[in-house]
Amino acid sequence: MANNTNLPRRIIKETQRLLSEPAPGISASPSEDNMRYFNVMILGPTQSPYEGGVFKLELFLPEEYPMAAPKVRFLTKIYHPNIDKLGRICLDILKDKWSPALQIRTVLLSIQALLSAPNPDDPLSENIAKHWKTNEAEAVETAKEWTRLYASGA
Amino acid sequence: MGNNLAEELLSTVRSVVGPEVPDMDIIRALHMAKNDPTAAINIILDTPPSVPTPKPKPQTPNPKLKPVKELGQEKLITAERKNRSREVDASCRESNVGQDAAVSGPDGNEWWFVGTGEVPALSTCKGRRVKAGDEVTIKFPSKSKSLSSPAKAKGFGKGRQVVAACSEIVRFSAGDGGEIGRIPTEWARCLLPLVRDEKVRITGCCKCDYDRLALMDTVLLSIRVYINSAMFRKRHKTSLKEAISSSEETVVHPLPNLFRLLALTPFKKAEFTPADLNTKKRPLNSKDGSGFPASLLHANLCKNLKKNGDEVETEETISDADLDKIIGVGSSSELEEMDAPRTLQCELRPYQKQALHWMIQLERGNCMDDAATTLHPCWESYHLADERGLVVYLNVFSGDATIEFPSTLQMARGGILADAMGLGKTIMTIALLLTNSERGGSRLQTGSHCSSEGTECDISNQLSSPLNKGSKYSGFDMFKKKKMLVSGCNLIICPMTLLSQWKAEIETHSQPGSLSVYVHYGQSRAKDANVLAQNDVVITTYGVLQSEFSDENAEENRGLFSVHWSRVVLDEAHTIKSLKSQSSTAAAALVADRRWCLTGTPIQNKLEDIYSLLRFLKVEPWESWAWWNKLVQKPFEEGDERGLKLVQSILRPIMLRRTKSSTDREGRPILVLPPADSRVIYCELSEAERDFYDALFKKSKVKFDKFVEQGRILHNYASILELLLRLRQCCDHPFLVMSRGDTQEYSDLSKLAKRFVKDEGEAKDMPPRAFVQEVMEELQKGEQSECPICLEACEDAVLTPCAHRLCRECLLGSWRPATSGLCPVCRKSITRQDLITAPSDSRFQVDIEKNWVESSKVTVLLKELENLRSSGSKSILFSQWTAFLDLLQIPLSRNNISFLRLDGTLNQQQRERIIKQFSEDDSIQVLLMSLKAGGVGINLTAASNAFVMDPWWNPAVEEQAVMRIHRIGQTKPVRIMRFIVKGTVEERMEAVQARKQRMISGALTDEEVRTARIEELKMLFT
Repeated sequence: MANNTNLPRRIIKETQRLLSEPAPGISASPSEDNMRYFNVMILGPTQSPYEGGVFKLELFLPEEYPMAAPKVRFLTKIYHPNIDKLGRICLDILKDKWSPALQIRTVLLSIQALLSAPNPDDPLSENIAKHWKTNEAEAVETAKEWTRLYASGA
Repeated sequence: MGNNLAEELLSTVRSVVGPEVPDMDIIRALHMAKNDPTAAINIILDTPPSVPTPKPKPQTPNPKLKPVKELGQEKLITAERKNRSREVDASCRESNVGQDAAVSGPDGNEWWFVGTGEVPALSTCKGRRVKAGDEVTIKFPSKSKSLSSPAKAKGFGKGRQVVAACSEIVRFSAGDGGEIGRIPTEWARCLLPLVRDEKVRITGCCKCDYDRLALMDTVLLSIRVYINSAMFRKRHKTSLKEAISSSEETVVHPLPNLFRLLALTPFKKAEFTPADLNTKKRPLNSKDGSGFPASLLHANLCKNLKKNGDEVETEETISDADLDKIIGVGSSSELEEMDAPRTLQCELRPYQKQALHWMIQLERGNCMDDAATTLHPCWESYHLADERGLVVYLNVFSGDATIEFPSTLQMARGGILADAMGLGKTIMTIALLLTNSERGGSRLQTGSHCSSEGTECDISNQLSSPLNKGSKYSGFDMFKKKKMLVSGCNLIICPMTLLSQWKAEIETHSQPGSLSVYVHYGQSRAKDANVLAQNDVVITTYGVLQSEFSDENAEENRGLFSVHWSRVVLDEAHTIKSLKSQSSTAAAALVADRRWCLTGTPIQNKLEDIYSLLRFLKVEPWESWAWWNKLVQKPFEEGDERGLKLVQSILRPIMLRRTKSSTDREGRPILVLPPADSRVIYCELSEAERDFYDALFKKSKVKFDKFVEQGRILHNYASILELLLRLRQCCDHPFLVMSRGDTQEYSDLSKLAKRFVKDEGEAKDMPPRAFVQEVMEELQKGEQSECPICLEACEDAVLTPCAHRLCRECLLGSWRPATSGLCPVCRKSITRQDLITAPSDSRFQVDIEKNWVESSKVTVLLKELENLRSSGSKSILFSQWTAFLDLLQIPLSRNNISFLRLDGTLNQQQRERIIKQFSEDDSIQVLLMSLKAGGVGINLTAASNAFVMDPWWNPAVEEQAVMRIHRIGQTKPVRIMRFIVKGTVEERMEAVQARKQRMISGALTDEEVRTARIEELKMLFT
């Protein structure tokens, strides 16, 4: 908690807004003992292979935030060409396209959008991407399967 | 010497200079002349011999023989004239006059015979024989050489001087026998430039027989001098601007000297000559110097700088008392009074009537009736020896020559009305305008080209046709322009702030219809000279004057410069004090019959300030910088009291100065004003303020010390002034240090919107118009936007070119490096320069309303105002920073002190409204005023208290502002309070004030000034 006393006003403000007006299909709440650490849940977007799934993520705001991007990782296993088996996400705004005008909310919305539109041309997971490109129907099936397997229960 | 070449040169030289000259001398000369035998010979002949000159041979007994000392520093030239071999005697001259007169140049110029002279030339040959009447060829140094060396040899080193001098020697020869000798320096010096410019031709012959000439013998020559008639025409072809800018550097002019050498005596001598200045008018009488204002002298010397701030108490701006000493308040009480014309609709006070009389007298000149036929006192007239009986006029100061009669009409008519502020210079001037327009007769014809030849001498006649005026002035700078000048009436030039006041005062104080007034200002001002000429009074600003002067393209429409004014009045004439400034040159270039300067401070801080006024007034010879500098400026700076005495004698006849303490004949004060009590209120910083100030000071001093260490103080002058500015502002209120910079530029929202819209067509990645509009609307409504980075309301918001608003700090913080980066919102690449400070109501980085705290200065002020509240008297608060006025509004509102505000952002109408409201509405207690906006002219006698919130560099400006309330019309006792915060830069400033002003305006050339400035700056940082 000692860490939280000099939490930047921006983080406090963002947290308050996330809690008071959460984005649809997204919940994010800071950890009790570290206000920079967020437990995140994203609902799989409708009409995507992840529909019906509840995906857990962890989000951490580094010291330099908002001048540096938050660190985000899927905790729930997910079959997606831009997410590797460790849950790491290939998303430009989390890397070189980060802007301090982005927020936790916008980051999570972007991740949600990524679930709706996988991008096998810029893969993180080579195998899954290949699968996606060669036989998309089968890959989508696998993704649905994984969703059922790993993301169905809370 | 062993080599053949050297031997040969040596013998060549020896064959010319003779055997008496030691070898060593010849060798040295050859060395100096770089083995040029001719030059070497000249050097030897020009150098006093190291051995005694051989005695003159007895064959040439010449009683006039005398040693010749001059070693030339002449001007160089070339010209060669074949001359008649004729003995010069009276009869011979007679027979040749016709022939001489007929001498015509290829260009059709005539050569007029000026006279003959006897020249004691110096022989440079040995054993030659010449006879009286032998013609001599006078040979001037070759032009090619003359081009390579500057006109004046004064800058030359010793060695070079000799060589240079060689080429400046005028030699003469006779027949085929080669050189005989040379013309003495005195003659050569004045002949050279004249012959070079083809102004003069000379012919010569020997006057006596000489059987055997020896070296250094005197050869008497008789020369005849002719002057080129073209000289009198060419003289005037110099254009307006050239004539103005060519400040003559010398006070020695060849033509008057030549006339003197020719022993021509003017049949009409100049009444006023350089000799007067050198002798009788400049007595060095130590007793007279008792009233000498030491501080003024000191101010100009700035040598004895004291580093200790406490010691530098000497006020260096010219105080009123000093000013009075310099220019003398004198005998004004004995002046006659003159009643104002009926068309003046107010009663003049006696001293104002005196001024009117004085001004009318000056405009009339001393002898109005024969002004046109009286020779100007600075000119002499000469009869030429030419049989046509020609008369030439010479200006003894400028060396100008003319054949057209220089009458006293060309003399300065006008002067300096230097009454102290508040005595009503404006009203006196209006009385003058009215008086003279009455005299001019039917004004209906004003500006029309009615002929008034019959009244040529009536100088007060404003109706003189251009032709008439042209004839009065022909031969002078108007020579070329007279055809295109339209005859006009009165021109008044004043600072912009006074434009409407002049108009209003003329309209209220003159009978309706007696004077037509035209304000010549703004983009839509008249371009046609006739419009200007049609009005009785044209009022304009120094800015307009300057821009019309520098407008090169408008050759046809030179506005103010295409009119020949009857009278030009400079209000606040010290505006032109800087003689190199455009407005100063421009004012001097105006063509006018009568010229007036109105100023309460004819000298603001330098004696030179006067010079610009004299130049404008055309007070001869003082409009020539050379004379001013030689006889006034230099002596003054060197501590010679004669400089100052001379200034006084120049000014006495043309300047009228009364102060509020001047008395009339009966010894009563000419103007009874309520007393003015001026005091300084010293404030102490609170502890918190002190901490803040000290921190700021420390930071600034570190920077300053770094500059000192690098020896680059003067290179970083702007930065240092900025440091000082912050410190000074901190003394007013620490918030000022946090004020924002460039918000002014786009304070106009439409301008801002335009910027976005304008760019839209060019670049595709511009924000959509709808979005821009939305942003503009938000700005317009003053809506606070949230910074996308800190998610707070934008503090010190900036706008990106893509119309996104962020806190300046947040945005710059997101960039590495902070000079450029991407827009955080849309990723457009932008640089720091692209950012626009978003306009907002507050120019402070902090919310001043919410966080308001009184600074100690404000606390003291409020206490004073509270004390005054019950008395009902009004106060003016002066500050140099409008941001401080912003701040002051908060406590004033909170304490229910009603106020108005007057600053530079207001236009003329708004100002007038504010002043009117302040004067008439009893409920308004305070007027907030920026020092600059309210400096001059404005009449604020409704207030009786003035608070000068922060010291300015130049106390004269402060004083001028304060005098807005202590002037005619003031009925209550006046209190002036100046705030100084103890132990801060303000206190230091008190001591350095005046010196600082000079520092800013002065040039950087003089090493002393440099040191002085550095010392002063160091003083401020102690």
